[in-house]
Amino acid sequence: MITFLKNFYRAKKFGQPIVVVSGLPRSGTSMTMKMLEAGGMTLFTDNIREADEDNPKGYYEFERVKNLHKEKDRSWLGDARGKVIKIISELLMELPDAYFYKLIFMDRHLDEVIASQNKMLIRRGEPVGDDNERMKALFEKHLRVVKSWLDRQSNFDVIRLNYKEVIDNPFDHAERIRNFLGTGLDVKQMAGVVDEKLYRNRR
Amino acid sequence: MFGSKIKIDKNLLEKVRKYSEIAGYSSVEEFVEHALEKEIAKLEDADSEEEIKKRLKGLGYIS
Repeated sequence: MITFLKNFYRAKKFGQPIVVVSGLPRSGTSMTMKMLEAGGMTLFTDNIREADEDNPKGYYEFERVKNLHKEKDRSWLGDARGKVIKIISELLMELPDAYFYKLIFMDRHLDEVIASQNKMLIRRGEPVGDDNERMKALFEKHLRVVKSWLDRQSNFDVIRLNYKEVIDNPFDHAERIRNFLGTGLDVKQMAGVVDEKLYRNRR
Repeated sequence: MFGSKIKIDKNLLEKVRKYSEIAGYSSVEEFVEHALEKEIAKLEDADSEEEIKKRLKGLGYIS
């Protein structure tokens, strides 16, 4: 009964939720976007950033998200209601309170995240840095801050998924996502697009 | 929303009102609270934040 009233109040106040897929870059956010697309959800993307060696199946990004920390006018986010948008963890705190967010937060072992990011930086001709342990500590702190902030937000409903566990049990996690979103997603289709071969940076 | 009142310059308050609406906040209080939280978080860890931002820019995830 309480959940029903809470959902009713949220729907009244905010309208349809914006489904956000988040996490650190290289933590499985694109895979989750692909699952949601296969399940029947509409993605809020512009396909400007094309698939490459690092993300052979595409990035599923919306270019304007990258400017979220600089833009004053964020009202365009209203167009993402009822759709799925990818927003990395660094930018979550920029989201305005005017909307309700169903957030799917991807976790992955930080050694794997950093190894994957390092390869991507090299391919892009960017400096990598030589202190992976420091970067790991910074990311750990960043994730603590973001998650603690999320705990205090009444307009966020959050589910956390572990990348490796999704790879190992795609069907179970597709079901978890469907139950979390409360929509009629096609779980079989969602599980079918999880490609274990793309889990390339393992501990 | 706030536990206590805070005095704020009239002109600044007008700006806050204007931009909280543009940015899509549901009230001035929410905007101010959000801005303060973000600013404090920034001050607490400005250096490490910059290092992460630099890396994310290099990866093409923020501009």
